[in-house]
Amino acid sequence: MRYAEWCIAAPTLEADIAAAAMGLDDIGHSRVLYGSLRELGTPDVPDEPSSYANVPYLDRPWTDWTAFVAANGVLDNAFTLMIEALAGGNVEVLRSRLKKMLQEERYHAMHGHSWLRESRSAAAVEQARRDAMVWIGPEGDDVDDLHGKGILSMGVRELRRRLDEQVGAAPTSSPIDWKAWDTTRRRISPGGIDELTLGVLQGLAEKRYMPAGA
Amino acid sequence: MGFVRVHDEVQEYEVFARKTRLEPLRQVGAVVAPDDELAMAYARATYDEERWVEMMIVPKAAVIQLWAPGEAEA
Repeated sequence: MRYAEWCIAAPTLEADIAAAAMGLDDIGHSRVLYGSLRELGTPDVPDEPSSYANVPYLDRPWTDWTAFVAANGVLDNAFTLMIEALAGGNVEVLRSRLKKMLQEERYHAMHGHSWLRESRSAAAVEQARRDAMVWIGPEGDDVDDLHGKGILSMGVRELRRRLDEQVGAAPTSSPIDWKAWDTTRRRISPGGIDELTLGVLQGLAEKRYMPAGA
Repeated sequence: MGFVRVHDEVQEYEVFARKTRLEPLRQVGAVVAPDDELAMAYARATYDEERWVEMMIVPKAAVIQLWAPGEAEA
């Protein structure tokens, strides 16, 4: 969704097209992931603001291209690492379904990696990195538990190490205080996605112009 | 025709693809990027509308021209 907002605002026409394409890829990936969860018997969550488990970095639209680049180069990589860990785990549905996703994400990583070289904003990269680390979660918690059961092929330490290796960022911020960590939404800071974006995601604007039964 | 770019230096890449193993690669377009990585990402994003079995990019600078339209064959 945030990628799509930049499909006519990126610094070059090629980057506009890439933003649109990556946004479409990620919508497709969401559909595959939700479909897999349903097949594995996970109940649907109600579509309400408090159920959105997005990282804080996605709460508000990005106002600067460097914010897009940090999301693309850091957060997208973190999500891909988790997909890789699921595809390498012992759940057959995920092992078979997520491979194509990893192939597509390879191009997102190339895009993010190259743009990070040009427009690295230390503050944006560090914020994205911190959000990614919080999203992965603390050591000895659910991710490590799933790793222990073989559902994930990587644990927290490995995921963190791989992310820092790929991003090439030296952590500068203070250690994460996990006391307020929300295990469901996988974030520490409260808040959520902005109202306008939420309306678009829930199709509220469409419903206003197309009443039920029309 | 000039392009306004944010990158200091860019180069042009020709994009080639084919739909089946039997048909030859054909040029489907071009992209401009500062490095191979971004050129690959742009080529895939821009020309992925078909179900290609193969896609590759070549830096235009690597293409050796023997003669151009209008020039007599040497």
